[in-house]
Amino acid sequence: MKAFHGKILKMDLSEEKYAVKTIDERYVRKYLGGQGFAVELVYHDIPQGTDALAPDNVIAMAPGLFAGFPLPTGGKTAFAAKSPQTGTLVESIMGGVIGAELRHAGYDALEIVGRAEKPSYLFIEDDRVEVEDAADLWGKSTREVPDLLKKKHGWDVKVACIGVAGEKLVKFACIDCEERQAGRGGLGAVMGSKNLKAIVIRGSKDLEPADPGALLEIALRYQKIMEDAPSFKEDTVYGTGEFLGWINKEKGVFPTRNWQQSVFEEREKIDPYYWATRYVSKNKACFACTKPCGKLFEIKEGKFAGVAIDGLEYETLYSLGAACGNASIESAARGNEICDVLGMDTISAGATIGFAMELVQRGILTDEEVGMRLTFENSEDAMPAMLEKMGNREGFGDVLAEGVRLASKRIGKGAERYAIHTKGMEPPAYDVRGMKGHGLAYMTSTRGACHLRAGFYAPELVGKFWRWEGIDRQSPEGKGQMVATMEDFMCVYDSVGLCKFSRGFFLIEKLTEVIEVITGLKFTEDELLKIGERVHNMKGHFNYREGVTRKDWLLPPRILQDPIPEGPAQGNVITPEQMNRMLDDYMAARVWTADGEPTPEKLKELELA
Amino acid sequence: MPKMLVPYPEKCTGCRFCEMVCSLYHEGKINHVDARLQIHKRDVRTDFPVVCTHCIACGDDCCVQACPVDAIKVVDGIVTIDENECTACGSCVDACPFGVMRMEETAFKCDLCGGDPTCVKFCPMGAIRYEEPNVEQYEKVRKLLEAE
Repeated sequence: MKAFHGKILKMDLSEEKYAVKTIDERYVRKYLGGQGFAVELVYHDIPQGTDALAPDNVIAMAPGLFAGFPLPTGGKTAFAAKSPQTGTLVESIMGGVIGAELRHAGYDALEIVGRAEKPSYLFIEDDRVEVEDAADLWGKSTREVPDLLKKKHGWDVKVACIGVAGEKLVKFACIDCEERQAGRGGLGAVMGSKNLKAIVIRGSKDLEPADPGALLEIALRYQKIMEDAPSFKEDTVYGTGEFLGWINKEKGVFPTRNWQQSVFEEREKIDPYYWATRYVSKNKACFACTKPCGKLFEIKEGKFAGVAIDGLEYETLYSLGAACGNASIESAARGNEICDVLGMDTISAGATIGFAMELVQRGILTDEEVGMRLTFENSEDAMPAMLEKMGNREGFGDVLAEGVRLASKRIGKGAERYAIHTKGMEPPAYDVRGMKGHGLAYMTSTRGACHLRAGFYAPELVGKFWRWEGIDRQSPEGKGQMVATMEDFMCVYDSVGLCKFSRGFFLIEKLTEVIEVITGLKFTEDELLKIGERVHNMKGHFNYREGVTRKDWLLPPRILQDPIPEGPAQGNVITPEQMNRMLDDYMAARVWTADGEPTPEKLKELELA
Repeated sequence: MPKMLVPYPEKCTGCRFCEMVCSLYHEGKINHVDARLQIHKRDVRTDFPVVCTHCIACGDDCCVQACPVDAIKVVDGIVTIDENECTACGSCVDACPFGVMRMEETAFKCDLCGGDPTCVKFCPMGAIRYEEPNVEQYEKVRKLLEAE
């Protein structure tokens, strides 16, 4: 077997000791790489009932099977742990180079357990593995930390780190590597709880593909296919927010003001068709991506002068824009920068502020309690100001740093009615009242409301994908099986480390050729989907074991009770009957119990029991 | 004047695809240590390719002058290493202001892939181009390196 080193590095920070576990071809055939490896490690190694911020929690990092090999958009790295935000297993995928560098250092995955006695960082240089003192780095931003570490270790080390939000255990703190983030589920807080400020790697080992000539040919072929596709221009000029106008105006499912509306009437002001020509000075890419959707967004004058970010992504245009009723793209960019520098997930951070703004609107929160005026009307200034407080856990920011589920409990007075989440995760930028299957996907996602675990917004909005045509976004019919299959599909994607924006180019059957050229191993499409199913079942089984059951999956009141008030999706809602029918169908498709527990037969079939 | 690699830092996205295909093309494996060019990422604003300019940017032929055994020569405008003569002393590596002279058993460097550079083929952004040498672009990269 080529491409793999057959080694997983296991670091115990409490003991300051590490061990190297060997893996073989059987392990690769079972878990593939990336998310598959990371989920396997945390699924098997976290003791039942572990608090997510306790030393026993395990954080794993694994490069996708393709990461480090030149396949366009195939450079992703997976992180996984038990989430302090949702209490479930969370995995989060980033486009940073850190996973590929781990591979060059000679390891196929990294597992970290325990808690360092004092602020520390992990330094890995091939066979040298050290826990170093991070006293000088504590309190520093995600931009200062790599700067300081490169001054110390050389310009060519690769750094993944947390910001102050991770140190302060903000529930949705993220991990950053070169302005790319493992954003969702509070993995940054898990690192913070371990006193682990950064992971620094320099590797010098070769990555050997099974067939170098064929790999070069495949890389060139796909690079040309992508470059010639219409999406190339959309990505490279406007980025991921390109379809904002379509979602907002034609579909009417762009959640606005904490989901009180689903059409943002000031959409033009935050649309990339407005800002790309004004503020973008160049394209930015994830590691190994030749169709960059990242944008260097710079503000040179006005009250937000000096802002420079890799953004704004579609989801952030929602969370720091429409969700807060904010039509100032400059303010949203400043908010994005605060999130990046302090190390917070922009989706959860912005959605939580939008939630607080609705509480102020309804008189549930007063200006005195919040410590400032925090409304949809003054969001241009109030949103960035509150983000700073959240990242530093100052004043009322300390409450909002818990995310909407815990914050609503703490606030009381009926606040829970307006907390929009599943499993404690704030949803991304698709109003699922107008897309029923995607609503199911928000419930079944093992890390809580997520657009990427099934990616089901795309089949429903376009009406067709892969094996399906004529998909009706208003119908719950058949969605249980489709969502389950798409989840397996996406688990394969996150295990090989491909960007989901490539799913139109690489359907599962196309991956077998690439995997063979890189590893020499033959897989069928069905075998890959079976691995995807195995990975999803590990996550589902973990969650059930930790007490997260069907009652925690359910959609929030707004989606079940408040019809969309206006626009193309006016009147849309997911009824409790539709919700329960889709859940029943899904459980049947998964061969799980009605309560969400994978059955012993299913676990046995997947060689997990 | 033969065509050369010309870097455009203002176009570089920092994806590092060129590093991977460079080493894959030359060595049949991937290792940025073996890549004949480098991508530097300094901060959110700054990503840039560092390529061999075949002494056009150096002017004083740093590596050629530094070689104590005359193993490095300019042949038809291309700086070329005679591997049989090279003693792997490392003088050229120290002398190269761009840090693109590499060393394993002997020194090795960019050979423009025989006139069809792989890095250029894989850069749809045009951050590395194969064209008339452009001293202004080389100077941009030199300044970025000095600031590091």
